[in-house]
Amino acid sequence: MQQSFFGLNIALSGLYTAQRNLDVVGHNLSNATTPGYSRQQSIQSASNPLAVMDGTGMVGTGSQATGVQRIRDTYLDFKYWSENVANGEWSKKAELMNEIQITFNEPSQSGFVKIMDGFFDSLQELSKDPSSGAARALVVQKATTLAKYFNSTATHFEQFQNDINDQVKIDVDQINIIASQIQLLNKQIYNYELTGDTANDLRDSRTLLVDQLSKLANIQAKEVTYGKLPNGDDDIHFQITLGGKTLVDHFSVTKLTVVQRSTKLNEEDIENLYDIKWEDGNSVNITGGELRGLLDVRDGKDGIDGTPIYKGVPYYQRKLNEFVRTFAIAFNEGYTKIDSGYAHTVAGHVDGYGYDGDLTDANSAPTGIRFFTMLGVGDTPISSADLIAGVTANITDPDYIDQVAEQYNKITAKNFSVSSDIINDANNIATSDADGQNGNTNILKKLMGIRSNQSLFKEGAPEDFMKSLVAGMGIDAQQAETFAKTQEALVKQVDNRRMSVSGVNLNEEMTNMVRFQQSYNAAARMIVTMGEIYDTLINKLGVG
Amino acid sequence: MRITNNMLVSNMLTALGNNESRMMKYQNQLNTGKKIQLPSDDPIVAARALKLRTDVSKIEQYQKNLGDAKSWVDATDTALAQIGDILKRAKELATQAANGTNSPTETGNIGEEMKQLKIQLVHIANTTYSGRYMFSGFKTDQKLINDDESSPDFGKFEIDVNTITEKIQFEIGEGDNININVCGGDIFNLGGNAADGVEPAMMALFTNIITEMEAGDNDGVRSLLNQFDVQIDNLLRVRADVGARQNRIDLSEDRMSNDLVNMTDLMSKNEDADPAETIMNLKMEENVYQSSLAGGARIIQQTLVDFLR
Repeated sequence: MQQSFFGLNIALSGLYTAQRNLDVVGHNLSNATTPGYSRQQSIQSASNPLAVMDGTGMVGTGSQATGVQRIRDTYLDFKYWSENVANGEWSKKAELMNEIQITFNEPSQSGFVKIMDGFFDSLQELSKDPSSGAARALVVQKATTLAKYFNSTATHFEQFQNDINDQVKIDVDQINIIASQIQLLNKQIYNYELTGDTANDLRDSRTLLVDQLSKLANIQAKEVTYGKLPNGDDDIHFQITLGGKTLVDHFSVTKLTVVQRSTKLNEEDIENLYDIKWEDGNSVNITGGELRGLLDVRDGKDGIDGTPIYKGVPYYQRKLNEFVRTFAIAFNEGYTKIDSGYAHTVAGHVDGYGYDGDLTDANSAPTGIRFFTMLGVGDTPISSADLIAGVTANITDPDYIDQVAEQYNKITAKNFSVSSDIINDANNIATSDADGQNGNTNILKKLMGIRSNQSLFKEGAPEDFMKSLVAGMGIDAQQAETFAKTQEALVKQVDNRRMSVSGVNLNEEMTNMVRFQQSYNAAARMIVTMGEIYDTLINKLGVG
Repeated sequence: MRITNNMLVSNMLTALGNNESRMMKYQNQLNTGKKIQLPSDDPIVAARALKLRTDVSKIEQYQKNLGDAKSWVDATDTALAQIGDILKRAKELATQAANGTNSPTETGNIGEEMKQLKIQLVHIANTTYSGRYMFSGFKTDQKLINDDESSPDFGKFEIDVNTITEKIQFEIGEGDNININVCGGDIFNLGGNAADGVEPAMMALFTNIITEMEAGDNDGVRSLLNQFDVQIDNLLRVRADVGARQNRIDLSEDRMSNDLVNMTDLMSKNEDADPAETIMNLKMEENVYQSSLAGGARIIQQTLVDFLR
């Protein structure tokens, strides 16, 4: 038997369903620009039919909205995360390499080459008139500029390393914050979904957090089924691992922490750089993401001494140190590197004689002075004698050269300086190879020869050394930029595909809005019609 | 592919960003006139730029050195010419004095002029160029010859100068040095060295002939006459050498100015942006940028929302 108001109920269910659908449309529209939002769709079905006992079959009872689902392709999420790890690493490297390039400031009118040219040009001027005080003063000035170039470049690198170190800390903090947020969301999502619902918006927020995390470090995220719940559904846990260890495991989180190094990884490093550890003290394996980019540039010395195989700040510091040491020892002592240490190949500044101001007195011209030394206490240049104060061997001793060379290892780009003897008296600049010959430039000629000494460095002459350093840096920076661009394009492409699936299309939503509105109107019309039927039945029938 | 609104916006922003960065690239090229701003823009160009800069800077320095070398050698040549004149005049005087018709008084008078020539010769031997004694070898701040007329050592060398080793050299090219000085012994001591306290051959000739003239000995003067030719020949040898060096300096100057033009040309080709090409490119990028802006503005506005009223 048919119920009296059955038709009204059917129409009413249509009203409800349409309304629910419109709500979802509204939700989509409101979140059209929400980052990480995936569009939702209400699931609509016909409600359970009634079996009619008179043998005429089933009668439909209307419609119902059974749930709201999130439209998302999880494969694309995984894809996004794995590409984003490389994206984070290379875009960070590209950014940092840019800074390194700016530090070198080449090619320009104020870079190394210009300064080196200036120094050697001043030596040329001196060679033409070694007794000229003006020419001597010019040499001191140009040499000081050269030394200062290295000082400021090295200081800039130190500052830069320090900045990167701070960024490492910030990134680690960021990872911890995101991990905690994900853990919280895990709890909420799990609790909601226990009852069979899907926590669409919370899942979106969680995915967005994992997106951010994947840019920072090499993480992997997945949902793991842990068994069955009492109601028969899968018991799903969400896990994030970093370098093989779990960062977030369902409701628990293991944080990262930074520990100041007690011993330097590179001798060129500044003090107390951070090592990243798990909170439980274990070491963490960072192989990707921004963190990897930061660590590579901060610690990379091209694999020397177990450092990352990347040419980062310590690599350039080491190269600068190598330059000033080799240059200083060749200029001062005339030593050049051979297979086993150093050899005294030509006469150096120390072998020459300076300007003899008064030829009539018994005092001979200054000699035995080293042109370059380093900055000592209070950043004041030390004297020639102080530089080799540690040498115990006699000059005739075979160990002498090695001991002297050992002293030069104390010179770094940061403390490189013109010696105080030269600064205090430009007449101490040695030009002559004999006492009292103020027009003699035999030593100066040898010093100028350093500029074109192809065997000074394995890269060649001083300028070749710098040229190859700058070219190498350019290539590395270019590579980082190219990788960053490619990787960004890949990420962008995956993100596009994700947005294609999950994004809100306003036209679509408007169409649906019209559709559901019509559906609502139709159901309402149905109620009016039913009303008219009952009007006929109740009010018109048998009323006399 | 299903297109969504965020995709449209994000793609358009990416495209706009790319356009902007290309515009910025050409903008920078125009502003700086250089093809590259950082080595990573083109590492090869950057490395070559460094090399060429050094080359250009070296050439400019060599040009300066050549200028200075030229002045020094020219000054030497002038001094040598003066010495030549003195020798010529001295030879004339000696020939005159050798004539047996001269009375001893007349010969003695000629000896007076001869003395003046000797003094002048000593002063030329001590010529300075920008405050430095030109013929003193490496001892450029010391006089070559004693010029104190009252001293018994007048006309004798005051310092040791080794003609072979005391060569002042200027670098006038890569590994190319030119010897710009002439050592005093070479001129005044017939190609030998200068030794402290020794009277140079040229001065000795003057001393001897003055003695003969003062004594009025015509024959004695005659016997020394051929000595002047020896001195003049030696001087000519030195002048020829100096002349050859002047020649070499001129040639090098010529080559250096050619090199400089070539190098600066290379440098410009290597690193300078072509303004016409850059402006064209910039204009083109501006066009693209404006079109994408206009297009974007249209696409993003229009949705069904605009029509459902």
